Amino acid sequence: MISHILLYIDPGSGSYLVQVIIAGALGIAFFFRNIKNSIKAFFTRSSKKTNETDSMPDGK
Amino acid sequence: MANNISPHSSSYRDPSGFIFFKDGIYYRQINKIYQEHFDHFISSGCYKNLVEKGLLLSHADQTDNLTGDADRYKTIKPEQLSYISYPYEWGFDMLKDAALLTLQLTKESISFGLILKDATPYNIQWHNGKLIFIDTLSFEKYNEAEPWIAYRQFCESFLAPLLLMHYSKNSLPQILLACPDGIPLAITSSLLPKRSRFSLHTYLHIHLHTSIVNKKNRQPEKKIVFSKQKMLNLISSLETLIIKLKLPPQQTAWSEYYEEAMQRNDYVSQKKEIIEQWVSQLNDVKTAIDLGANEGEFSRILSSKDIQTIATDADPYCINKLYNEIKTKNEKIQPLVVDLANPSPSIGVLNKERDSFLQRTKTDLALALALVHHLAIGRNIPFEKIFELFASVANHIIVEFVPKSDSKVQLMLQNKKDIYTNYTEEIFEKEMSLFFIISQKQKITGTDRILYLGKRLQSP
Repeated sequence: MISHILLYIDPGSGSYLVQVIIAGALGIAFFFRNIKNSIKAFFTRSSKKTNETDSMPDGK
Repeated sequence: MANNISPHSSSYRDPSGFIFFKDGIYYRQINKIYQEHFDHFISSGCYKNLVEKGLLLSHADQTDNLTGDADRYKTIKPEQLSYISYPYEWGFDMLKDAALLTLQLTKESISFGLILKDATPYNIQWHNGKLIFIDTLSFEKYNEAEPWIAYRQFCESFLAPLLLMHYSKNSLPQILLACPDGIPLAITSSLLPKRSRFSLHTYLHIHLHTSIVNKKNRQPEKKIVFSKQKMLNLISSLETLIIKLKLPPQQTAWSEYYEEAMQRNDYVSQKKEIIEQWVSQLNDVKTAIDLGANEGEFSRILSSKDIQTIATDADPYCINKLYNEIKTKNEKIQPLVVDLANPSPSIGVLNKERDSFLQRTKTDLALALALVHHLAIGRNIPFEKIFELFASVANHIIVEFVPKSDSKVQLMLQNKKDIYTNYTEEIFEKEMSLFFIISQKQKITGTDRILYLGKRLQSP
């Protein structure tokens, strides 16, 4: 059923087909970005831990 | 309509309801056609959440059917706005923040099973020192299988002007006056530099978007399958892109004006002192406009006295700087890019949809400091027209006269033929008297500049 807003907005104005294609491309892009981020996070976390250990107060 | 109330001239697009004005108050009627969506908007807790977060204008229920309209489902009385401004008067970062607010609202509403059915900067206003969404009827029940109906509108009315300003490194809010409903994708795509294609998100939302929309002999759209995750990816992509957009500050003729002006003896501090004294003498100043506000030094004096102040300047960089400084402080200042030699006209259907700057702007006090010589000598506008302009925006005026002997005016006349025989203190006062009663006149010590305080002769 056409939602009532389509009665006053040209359905094409939503650029529906475009969104399907763009969302598809984004799905792939974000998939890789997430992998990149989790790898990055893994190393940042481990280096943070090292830093924290380094800066642990050891009675000067 | 039964009670002879007609919708506001800008409120005709959406059959869900409309804004109307009655006895000095703006109301919003919600029509039966929108009942299902509105009920869900309230019962899901979406409305409460958005109002609590300060993202949406709150409203109170109004039990009477004020219009007598049979289509009416409910009437609400929204929190009243003190001023309406339009995106073609905003600085870059104000439009950018409005875009991010729209995306934030879309995300928030999705979590309540709703979505924004339109995405236009006209639904956002500057209220109590921050941007706020004002259209309560923009929320619609969300169907996860459908893409975003407002996507193209968002790309054209927010993304396109922001990208054009970002890539050209020029502020040009007035481009939205030529295209009030957004800059068509094809135009945006052709105006953007080639290197913009190498930005993934710009490529997708503008260039690819344009080429698909423009494809001739397009097959009738098949059954389109979308999902909530796809929708969130789309919004997140737009957000990632917009957050990165910026307009580098430029050295214009007006930047660092105060720093330079401060060095001229104690010129600015003297001026501040006189203005503070005069403003305290005026009773009942609740609203004011600072014309040619630069970075808003004097607007702040007014806002610190709890006066709602509109700060206008033709230099978008000054206004953008002011916006960035005040946006976190909830100051009572509305920063606007306005060229006084060509203030925003009324536009839209019947030329009544968006009021002109002068129709919207009626204040108690106008400041016009170090401004008149720019209009009179810089733009060749006679004193009479300048004072007519001042009288159309305020009841009282504090205006500064900078005589020809002043070094700044000499600088302006350096490469110009001096055709300004009428530019004298005497004619200034004579023309001012056509519109204002001059009650105070004070020379700023150490300069030839003079400040005047005037009261408008009669209401226009």
